[in-house]
Amino acid sequence: MNSKPITLPSEDERHRLLQSPVNGEGLMLLFEAGLTWLMTNQQYVNSLNVFPVPDGDTGTNMVLTMQAALNEASQTPSRNVGEMARMFAQGALMGARGNSGVILSQIWRGFARALDHYETMDNGLFMRALQEARNTAYKGVVRPVEGTILTVIKDITSAAEVEATQTTKLSELLVAIVEAGDASVKTTPELLPILKQAGVVDSGGTGLFFIFEGMLRLIQGQPLDVTTAKVKPLSELELANTLETIEEGQDYEVVIDFAPKAEFRLEDYYEGLETIGTSIQVGEGEGIYRMHIHTLLDKRYEPIAYTEAVGTVKKIMMENLQDQMNQRQAEEEPVKCAPINAGEIGVVAVSPGVGLSKIFASLGAAAIVEGGQTMNPSVKELVAAFENLPTDRIIILPNNKNIILAAQNAAKVSVKQIGIIPTRNAPQGFAAMLRLVPDGTLEENEEAMNEAITEVHTGEITVATRTVEIEGVQVEKGEVIGLYDGKLTISASSVEEALKALFGKVNMGEFERITLFYGEGMTQTRVNTLVDQVRKDYPGHEIEVHDGGQPHYQLIIAFE
Amino acid sequence: MTTQENAQGKIYILPQAIKTVARHSALQSYGVISLAPANLAESVGRFVNKDADFGIEVETDDDGVNISLNLIIEYGLRIRTVTDSVAESVKYNVEKTIGIPVKRVDVNVRGLRISNPD
Repeated sequence: MNSKPITLPSEDERHRLLQSPVNGEGLMLLFEAGLTWLMTNQQYVNSLNVFPVPDGDTGTNMVLTMQAALNEASQTPSRNVGEMARMFAQGALMGARGNSGVILSQIWRGFARALDHYETMDNGLFMRALQEARNTAYKGVVRPVEGTILTVIKDITSAAEVEATQTTKLSELLVAIVEAGDASVKTTPELLPILKQAGVVDSGGTGLFFIFEGMLRLIQGQPLDVTTAKVKPLSELELANTLETIEEGQDYEVVIDFAPKAEFRLEDYYEGLETIGTSIQVGEGEGIYRMHIHTLLDKRYEPIAYTEAVGTVKKIMMENLQDQMNQRQAEEEPVKCAPINAGEIGVVAVSPGVGLSKIFASLGAAAIVEGGQTMNPSVKELVAAFENLPTDRIIILPNNKNIILAAQNAAKVSVKQIGIIPTRNAPQGFAAMLRLVPDGTLEENEEAMNEAITEVHTGEITVATRTVEIEGVQVEKGEVIGLYDGKLTISASSVEEALKALFGKVNMGEFERITLFYGEGMTQTRVNTLVDQVRKDYPGHEIEVHDGGQPHYQLIIAFE
Repeated sequence: MTTQENAQGKIYILPQAIKTVARHSALQSYGVISLAPANLAESVGRFVNKDADFGIEVETDDDGVNISLNLIIEYGLRIRTVTDSVAESVKYNVEKTIGIPVKRVDVNVRGLRISNPD
């Protein structure tokens, strides 16, 4: 998801546009600010998923819905709030993505209805628009579930009903709205047990909160496009991912754990860091803060000196990113697929890791699309992968349950004949590949592949992204978990233990061959020791090992 | 009827149980206003018996269950997104609470309710 920063007007202009009552341009600006701030916090919203495997996309869905809305509204800019809101709501409806996007589109639809025929919006009208938004949102469901985005719009509206009678200043009304939104988000785990179980707040409600907070930040002149001193739990610092986008001025990555002095002020600390480097993230956990920054070569010691002034430094980690990037690039040569004969069936496989891609290529895939957990390829990427193949007959292997839908949409927009085998993981994909008869009919191939994927069982070992209890399995954040055919089966403290426990739960007698695909973060030596143990424990089984290179999953296991 | 077996004996799950879970889950889904009779028999049944069960068909066989939903959706929503999400949540809840695989969820949109004609 590229986050194109929206250029906001100068401060003077902002003041002029946001003079209450707000006109159409001002309203547009508020929506833009809401979207920008939501985009800035998109990954955080995505991380609030309730299952311990990262697969959240609420933030992304809400951003896409808001973008569609804004695009529509900017086609016919109007100085009239009624007209502006109507176009905005129209765009949100057309572009609604996911459940949260649909509810958001209803919110704007109600909002727009209240503004209909009005030139400008004062606080009273803003309040009535929120009331209508709330009512419309609740009308969309017969049995509303509380502890969701619905609760947040309801609480925001209640606060606005009180505040709108007290002040005519938009900024003051928004302060009340944002405070109520914040409090409301925090109550969601009390209302919805599954959130409490997973130890998170509701993602859709949080997204809505960011939209209104963005509006307030615009009026208060606070930045919208930098991740500000939003304190996240330590586990949510996406240190690994920040590596992928290295720009100029990011030679070194410095991570410091420190205990702040009593008078520590996060906002001030943050400001200072901004003069030193980029990609700043600060996390907090039990009295310890962790700071993450990317700096230039000659500034690499500055974050340490700077942090020592505000607290006691506990631990410093420093890495040469440029060097690491060069290494990565050398490793990540794109996988080449052998050309296929014209008219034969071409298989497009979605693969999360280089090693897995190589296996798909060696099995005869015609094209590979990178993607998997938390990095779903777009419909466009999928179409691009097969559009130029010299054949009209294509089979797609999504290899992830979240990608099946994108594959179906890709099939719809293409004129080629397309079969989709609903493979949920790489082992199923391999099983399907093995049945490929390139000069057979599409139907025969689909039938054989669909049969093949029921014959392979899959184990996955990954790290829980949060503390949760699901179906009797208690998982602490950071613990290693094992899934069997997508179901959470065991938890353990190490990959080794997890593998052992998982094999204990699986009826090993049913299978003859076990194939392990190891992912990022597993070293060759560690894998060797692990495999030796497995061979010892299960001497009757054939054990194979491959470097899968997939992120998130330390091990993917195929049972045949 | 779905049959499972444990150490003590057999467990039968009747379609009615699956329907109850599916109905509850569908009605909690955003955008779904009500279930709708799928055919004449159901429409008539609904007329003579207020508690008649309608709008959900369940077929089971050895390896799972197929569910078909007949729904009224709120006007003004993106229908495709609503139906995708209903199907997903019905599948998830039936599998989670009943423990049998759901092979298909077909969604038939039988009508739209207009609460606000914009």
